[in-house]
This record gives sequence, structure tokens and C-alpha cells, in this order.
Amino acid sequence: MRLITHNMLKCHVRNCTDPDKQFPLRFENAELEQIEAERNDEFLVRMIPRLDWPALVKTATALGIALPASIPETPSEDDDFLQKLHTTILETHVKEGSMFCDGCGHEYKITNGIPNMLLAEHEI
Amino acid sequence: MPKYIVHFAQYHEDFRLAELDALSTLEGVPIKYDRESYSPESPFLIVEIESSEQARKLARRGILLRKIVEYWGCAETYGQLFAEVKQTPERWDEYMTCSFKFMVEGFGRSLTLEEQVAVIESFSFLGFKGPIKMKNPDVEFSVCEEYGETDKPVPPKSPKRIWFGRLIAQGSRDLISKFDLKKRKYLGNTSMDAELSLVMANQALARPGALVYDPFVGTGSFLLTCSHFGAFSMGSDIDGRQIRGTAGFRRGVNGIKANLAQYDLADRVLDTVVFDICRNPWRRGTKFDAIVTDPPYGVRAGAKRLGRKNGTVPEVSFKIIDGVENYKRDDYYPPTIPYEMSDVISDLLNFAAQELVVGGRLVYWLPTVADEYDHKDIPSHPALRLVANSEQPFGSWSRRLVTMEKITEVEPSAASSPAPGHEPAHKNFREKYFNRFEPLPSDPSKQ
Repeated sequence: MRLITHNMLKCHVRNCTDPDKQFPLRFENAELEQIEAERNDEFLVRMIPRLDWPALVKTATALGIALPASIPETPSEDDDFLQKLHTTILETHVKEGSMFCDGCGHEYKITNGIPNMLLAEHEI
Repeated sequence: MPKYIVHFAQYHEDFRLAELDALSTLEGVPIKYDRESYSPESPFLIVEIESSEQARKLARRGILLRKIVEYWGCAETYGQLFAEVKQTPERWDEYMTCSFKFMVEGFGRSLTLEEQVAVIESFSFLGFKGPIKMKNPDVEFSVCEEYGETDKPVPPKSPKRIWFGRLIAQGSRDLISKFDLKKRKYLGNTSMDAELSLVMANQALARPGALVYDPFVGTGSFLLTCSHFGAFSMGSDIDGRQIRGTAGFRRGVNGIKANLAQYDLADRVLDTVVFDICRNPWRRGTKFDAIVTDPPYGVRAGAKRLGRKNGTVPEVSFKIIDGVENYKRDDYYPPTIPYEMSDVISDLLNFAAQELVVGGRLVYWLPTVADEYDHKDIPSHPALRLVANSEQPFGSWSRRLVTMEKITEVEPSAASSPAPGHEPAHKNFREKYFNRFEPLPSDPSKQ
């Protein structure tokens, strides 16, 4: 699972609704893999407004990845920034591990890069 | 605007104009054509396009659009055709010394080699002095005799019309072979065929920079075609086994990933996640440029959602097995209940209305019962505009490829509405299908 996807997922257990706690999900035992991918600036720039930047920085920091605290004025002209963004959200994969919700404690497991976000029957 | 001849494939006839319009929008090429002159029985349509350059752009991703030819003439006989072509001799000068080729075909009848040669020779009045070159000539001319489709053993003696012009561009029908299911490393019994998967990518306006999502991703057919055209894509499914490749055909190839390697699309097919779209974990502010999907109709793939059927024994999710609560175990499958077709569709529309960007598209298949179908069956939503509705008939039932565009942002409470008092034909589709579309015993009004 790429970090771009992680930035779009929240905990959806019934009654877990505190937006500060249910997102972003916290990684534990994350096995990372860097896989090079072709950079597409048009896509990166379009995605910037759709990302939750503070959540992305928080997640990246926890994984030991450095990201600027805020988005530059004109990201489309900042090659350095785009490269960092590309590497972080599109080239960093979580192969195995878990995502925990700080609100309700639910554990979502990631196996072979695919997260399982099915809920148990008492959670829907 | 100058006239061009659009030459369609004679397959999926009901989808052709929809694709033409989608290509026009996608490539930013304005076109004009007379809707009345289009016939599903003919592969030809005269379309006005600003220039040959624009025509080339229009054609390049065409799947049902075979080629575009610059209009030089169209007549019922060769005599009339020549007369029309002779009205603009100044056009011929440009090609006087070019290497050239003539392509002579019949629609509804095969022309023999002798017949083709005779036709080519009849155009000698053009007076081209350049060499004939079969491969990569400077210019290619196209003659097509339209006899029409017939179920008689012998086709008519003379064509209805003869079309003539200069070839401008071919479409991308060669992609159908590239994505052919027979060649695909990983597939399942509900994988969509290549031709329609490609048409859907055009309907969705999949293009570089776009983010496309399939909430019933299965084995990922639409992720492949949308990402082939440059979009980034994601998918989810309630059934993790389809995604991972631990069920379905070709087990052991590592699921969708095998296809990403096969088509070199791992850069742009971002992720697949296991969850129930009814209980989805997308956070607020998530936005997709397109949603492209084939929801389960409950026929080959049982449509299901998380939940427990009334009257069944509650699963002991909390039962401790080997020291761990059942629901936390890796092999736990939460109970599911059937997910009725009209609910699937109205949930899908509500989801699309929320999660699409304004201007984004929802492209999905809707099963319909041929005898009962009514235009009112197509669900509507205040935030979505119906763009296209194309039928693929299977006899007593059909499926329709519906394209919708989000026209305005929504409040979370706005909802999709079937026409009041109207029960769409796709309601309880699964039961109707297995009952061979005979009236159900519970519906006396239809007996």
C-alpha cells in the first residue's frame, strides 16, 4: 500500500467518529519497500489539494521520512518538492504491518501490500 | 467546418456515438454531426471537424471508431461519385507526386482482388504521377462500398453507397488484442472483455493526471485500461481473494499484481484495498476524477454486503480460538447478507455524488430486463447528469453502460431517487434472471 492511499483512509468502526483520532491511522510493525516509479508532475500537482498535508507529514515522520511542514506557494515550479512528494506518496510502499486507530484501537492488517479493512459484525 | 467520414466498427453499435462524444470531450475537439443521419446499421457517419490535425486527435483513442477519412465524395454509383470528386480538382495537386495507396473494401460484401484493382484503375482520372507504395505511403485513399448487413446468403449486386476519401487517422482497435482476456495473466469469471473495458476508459475520460476508482474492482480490468491511458487508479472489493489471487482462475500468480507486471502498469495502478463499499473508510475530502465499475448483479457473483441475516445464529465473533478472539484472526470472514441490486445502484450514485470532483464521471453497468425496461429505470440523482446510456443486449436481458457527470457539489444528505412509485426492472434482478424473466409468483399484476 502506498502512502497516498493511506492518506485517504480513516477508521470507520461504528461510533468511532472523532476526526482527530480516526485519521490518520497509525502504523505499527510496518515493513517498507521503495519501488521506483515514473514521475508525473501533472498528477502530483492535482493531488496536492486532495491530500491531508499535516496527516501526511505526521505519518511520514513516524516512518522516518522527511517532508516539509507546509506546501510551497507554487509547487508546480518546485522540482525538489515534487521529487520529495513523489518519493513519499508514490514510491513508498507498506508491504506488511498494521494500521491502528487511536480512537477505538481497531487493528487493520496489511498483507502483501493489501490492507484488510473489513469490519467485524459488531463494528458495523 | 470541413467534412470527414467517421468509419465505425460494426460491433456494440449502441455504444458508438457515446464513444465519439466522449472522445470529442476528452481530446477537446469540437465536432458537428446530424444525429438523424446516424444509423446503427451503417458504419459510416459524416462529421464536421475543424481540421485534419483535430481529426487525428479525435481518432487516436477510438475503440469503436476505426478510422477517420477526409470526405471526398459519397454517392450511389461510381459515375455520380466521380462527378462529385471532379468538382474539386484543385485538391488533387497536393498529392500529384506523392507515393500513394488505395484501400478498397466492402461493407457487407468482400471484394475480390480483381474487383479491387478495377476500382483503383477507375480512379486514374486523378492523374497521380507518384509511385504506388503499399507500406507507409505519403498518402492513402479509402474506397468503401456499403452493401449493408444482410442475412441473405447472397449480398445485393450493387452497393447502397460508395464512400471515398483520404485516410487521416486510425483508431486504437489494436489495443483490444493487447488486453485480450485470453492473454491476461490473471482473471476471474467476471472479468470484463477488453473491448468494452477500453470503451469504458474513454467514457470515463481516463487521462494523464486523473485519479480513477473502482469500488467493485474484482480482478482489476478497468484499472488496467484506465491506467493504460495515463490515469492513476485504485480499487476496492469486499472479496480480498479476488484481489490477491487466492480464488478464481489462475491461482498462484499473485492476483492483480501479475497483470500490472504483464502490462507494465505498476507505476500507475496505485493500490487495491479490501472493504465493503457500504462501510467504506474513505475520509472526507477524498475526491476521484472518475468512478468506473461493474457492480455485481447477483447472477455470477453474489452481491453481498457486511451484515447478518435475520434469524441466523449470531456468529460468535468474540469466541476465543487459540487465545485470540475470532474476529481478530487472519482467517476471519465477517458474515455477509445479500445486497439487492437497486440498493447497490442507489448507493453507488450517492457515493459518486459525494466523492467525484465536479465534472468527474461515473461509468457503470446496469442490468435490465429487456421486456420491462423503461427509461425511468435509469436512476437519477440531483447532482449527476446523464451523459450516455448504451445497451448490450443478451436476449431476454441486457446490460446498459451508463455514464453520468457530476454537475454540482453536494451536501451529505442529498440522495438518489428512483422515480416515485416506480419499481425499476433491475430490482431483484437476480431472482428474475434465475426465473428466466417469467413473471414472479409474488407479482400478480404481471401475470
